[in-house]
Amino acid sequence: MEKAMSNFMRLSFKNVFRNRRRTAITGLVLVFGATALILAGGFIAYSFRGLRESTIHGELGHIQLFNKEYLLHEEDRPLELGLDSADAMKKKIMMVNHVRFTMARIDFMGLISNGDKSEAFLGRGVEPDKELKLSDLGLNMDRGQFLDQDPSDMKDNQVVLASGLAKTMKAKLGDYLTLMTTTSTGALNALDVKVVGVYSTGIPEYDERALMVDLSTAQQILNSKKVTKLVVVLDQTDETIKVAAQLEKMFPNVTAKRWFDLATFYNSVVRLYNAIFGFLGIIIFVIVVLSSSNTMMMSIFERTKEIGTQLAVGTSRLRLMLNFVYEGLIIGVLGALLGLVIAYGVSVLINNSNIMMPAPPGRTTGYPLLVDTVPMLFVGVFILMSLTTVVSSVIPAFKASRLKIVDALGHI
Amino acid sequence: MSKKGNDMNPLVQTKEIIKTYTLGRTEVHALRGLSLDFEPGEFTAISGPSGSGKTTLLNLLGLIDSPTSGTVFLEGSQVKYNGLTKLHSIRLEKLGFIFQTFNLIPVLTAYENVEYPLLLMKKSSVQRREMVEKVLREVRLWEFRKHKPNELSGGQRQRVAIARALVNRPKLILADEPTANIDSATASEILDLMHTLNEEDNVTFLFSTHDQLVMQHARRIVKLHDGVILNGESNV
Repeated sequence: MEKAMSNFMRLSFKNVFRNRRRTAITGLVLVFGATALILAGGFIAYSFRGLRESTIHGELGHIQLFNKEYLLHEEDRPLELGLDSADAMKKKIMMVNHVRFTMARIDFMGLISNGDKSEAFLGRGVEPDKELKLSDLGLNMDRGQFLDQDPSDMKDNQVVLASGLAKTMKAKLGDYLTLMTTTSTGALNALDVKVVGVYSTGIPEYDERALMVDLSTAQQILNSKKVTKLVVVLDQTDETIKVAAQLEKMFPNVTAKRWFDLATFYNSVVRLYNAIFGFLGIIIFVIVVLSSSNTMMMSIFERTKEIGTQLAVGTSRLRLMLNFVYEGLIIGVLGALLGLVIAYGVSVLINNSNIMMPAPPGRTTGYPLLVDTVPMLFVGVFILMSLTTVVSSVIPAFKASRLKIVDALGHI
Repeated sequence: MSKKGNDMNPLVQTKEIIKTYTLGRTEVHALRGLSLDFEPGEFTAISGPSGSGKTTLLNLLGLIDSPTSGTVFLEGSQVKYNGLTKLHSIRLEKLGFIFQTFNLIPVLTAYENVEYPLLLMKKSSVQRREMVEKVLREVRLWEFRKHKPNELSGGQRQRVAIARALVNRPKLILADEPTANIDSATASEILDLMHTLNEEDNVTFLFSTHDQLVMQHARRIVKLHDGVILNGESNV
């Protein structure tokens, strides 16, 4: 049975190459389709990976732990629904497998003043050494330096301002500004802070309002020992779901938010790119189907008499149909294979060309154009292209198999 | 196919077959109630002018077309055209075709063209090799086995077509104007070959032709005109 299949496959193979120019054109369409899908898919995979890691390492960490109530109710006062035994929790978290480190954050807001004018700010109290550890690439400091890593070294309470806020406050390095906010008990409090650095987040709206102070400075101005959340950083992103579940079990009063629960920008980009990729895939699928169907129809038209002969000498209609489907499969497999090789070559070329992409919407910095070589994408495109030509050969093959023998033999 | 009771059946038999084609609003009566018997081992020419129904008769005998009415019997069994009978299997195992324009598969070599029906019959590679070699030697083309049709002369192509028709040792070979596209010397050679195969292997040959040379070789001539048999069907 297998031998018979290989014999008929050999006949189909020969038929595929009887009109080389036409086969080459169909093959080129397949090569173009496979290359386009792999490059687009590779670029999207790179974008997803880059965005995922920058989302995790630039901001979110892998998991964030909140007081369960914090996500359900609005706080009347700062840190009212914070975590109040952060240090003890951190020790326990560090015992969990795959946890690299954990750190506390306090989110607060208030007014910042330079004496002449005041602006609203979104503040964050951080552990400077760990924030630097989270960001593999380092924070994007425009001027000055980040907060001192050991708070005991600080002579003054320090602040780093986002670039837009620094510009609005006309703040220079070494200037003193005043932060005003409500404490956790509801009283008003103010604290002088020294500007030690200016940074950019890449998001213009956020740069207009953001600042960071040391965790102890934030606790001092808020008059509380609580923190808003604990950020947990893992050694592998793939372990996020498992570790989050473990932490929720470990701390019943805590909600563990995974990075993708919080990454709204990442999620919307993924949805957008997937829609674009899907649309591109459909267009390429249609082009390939039309092209290979056309090739097959032309081939059948030219070979009508031959089809009549084959039927006359005893070929079953099913066998004849299968022979044409084999032809579609052969064109698909060869075109897809060539497409994979070319796509791989182009990927390597692009990755070594240092091409920069313009800044995406909502961002101020561009990023390098790179294409990931994803094995599963190669396998998927290969299967898709091969199946597409098989599918597109079915109708022409069926038509060929239904020809009336005497009509086909009389075809000129 | 349903079997008739008689053991001494003709190889092929037609009973009152009528074939009518509809061309637009016009009905063309290609065959008008033909009844004919062909015995095993015959070497018969079906002659007549163009449009007399020769090819239509051959197509019906070859089970590649169905009659408008009437019946065809093959080895005593009535041929059913209801789609349930695997006519392709009957054609494959019992019939061989030789066409006016040779109708070889151009991408295959002479060897592969002859081998093709055996592939359909799922013969083993050893059997195929033996059968193809035997028949290609019979038609004196073994040396040309690796040639494709476009590398062969008209006579050689027709001999490949004969080899293809013979390779599965069918009961009946139907040849539609087999000498029409070859020169007279080659035609004579081809006819001698078929004659030899007929006499030595008792293969039944039915030709449609209006070639005098073919008719000279035939032992029986069925003359058709306007879809009917002319009086004086001749047995040579």
